[in-house]
Amino acid sequence: MGLSSFSSLLLALASFQGPGTRLTYRVRVIEPASVEPRVLASGAVSGPLDNEMRLTLRTDSAEVEALFHLTPFGDTVSLGAEFYTRRRVGRSRRGLPLWEEDTYRRLVRLAWSDTARIYPFGQNRREGSAFVELILERRFAGGEGRSAERFDLVDSTRDLRVEAVVRPRRARVILNLVRGDTVSGPRPIDLVLDEPPRVVQLVLRGRATTLLVSVARPSEARSPRDRALALDADVLCLRVAPPPAADAPQPFGTVCGRLNNVARQLPLPTGDTLAATFAWPGAR
Amino acid sequence: MAGPETTHQQWLKQIGAELDGELSLMERAALAKHLATCSRCAGARASQLEVRVALARSAGDPHAFVVPRPSIRAGTLTLWVIVALATGMLGGWLANRRWGGPGSGAPLEDTRGTIVVQ
Repeated sequence: MGLSSFSSLLLALASFQGPGTRLTYRVRVIEPASVEPRVLASGAVSGPLDNEMRLTLRTDSAEVEALFHLTPFGDTVSLGAEFYTRRRVGRSRRGLPLWEEDTYRRLVRLAWSDTARIYPFGQNRREGSAFVELILERRFAGGEGRSAERFDLVDSTRDLRVEAVVRPRRARVILNLVRGDTVSGPRPIDLVLDEPPRVVQLVLRGRATTLLVSVARPSEARSPRDRALALDADVLCLRVAPPPAADAPQPFGTVCGRLNNVARQLPLPTGDTLAATFAWPGAR
Repeated sequence: MAGPETTHQQWLKQIGAELDGELSLMERAALAKHLATCSRCAGARASQLEVRVALARSAGDPHAFVVPRPSIRAGTLTLWVIVALATGMLGGWLANRRWGGPGSGAPLEDTRGTIVVQ
């Protein structure tokens, strides 16, 4: 790698991780018309620079879902999109609909002031097919705020949706030990992804249990659609292991779940059950 | 109440049945009595007979007592069924090779989403 490309990469990473930069995907879904184009829906997704946007359009015969993400390079930005498309191709002999599924990627480079037009059903499709107008904006904010989304559906007969996709970097995990009908006091802990494991001590019926816990992303998405559209973006896995001094070479196990305040249970070799509740961390 | 035309139609049916050998003696006697007085029905009977003679002649048996019915032999029928099935299967295979399975025949790339920078 040459020196100039290495320095540009560093510059890109520096701008990518720049504190307080807020990115906004501004979206308009437009139906072309002979007199004046009609705006079917409009919306915006904003958040930190690693924020992604999921766009969904459904008709009777096709479904297009796309996950947009970007990588800034100075005054330009690379806009990438993972498309997952389903097209209805007919009916089976038993009268059930037949669909064909397609997954593909698109990548374009544009300036921050440019407008990108997305033709979800292909540019050469019949006249009158809706397209999406996307404008990227960045501004400097005082601190890194939460992601936000806004979507106004003008034509309610259309099935359109825009969502913010946020991959958590931290998680708040509330741990309880359960044995029979006895539950230990909740032990909340803020964990950062891929950080070294932390020691947690839980007390149940006067007996202390020490555990090593860490969080990581799940290794593999369950389906190509989940992977392409990051449907499991807010899924994290809690790895539970005995403390290093303990004579237990095997980790106790892993429990995965969404950050949705639902408790997941992991049986421990001690006979207790560990209940882990995943939640989004508090705002900083 | 049956009118004269209806009665005539019934006699014509009786003539057809008589030529097919399907009438009893009593019915044949009644028909003969009617034909003796009705020139129209007698003419119709002669016409039907001429048609049947022509059909028997075309079937290769002009001296037949009744019109020979066309017959299909089992072997011929089986052969044609096999030919029809094979033609259908070959046509389906060729159509699948040419146009593919169900769905649009447009190239895949034309139906995929695109991003255009303006």
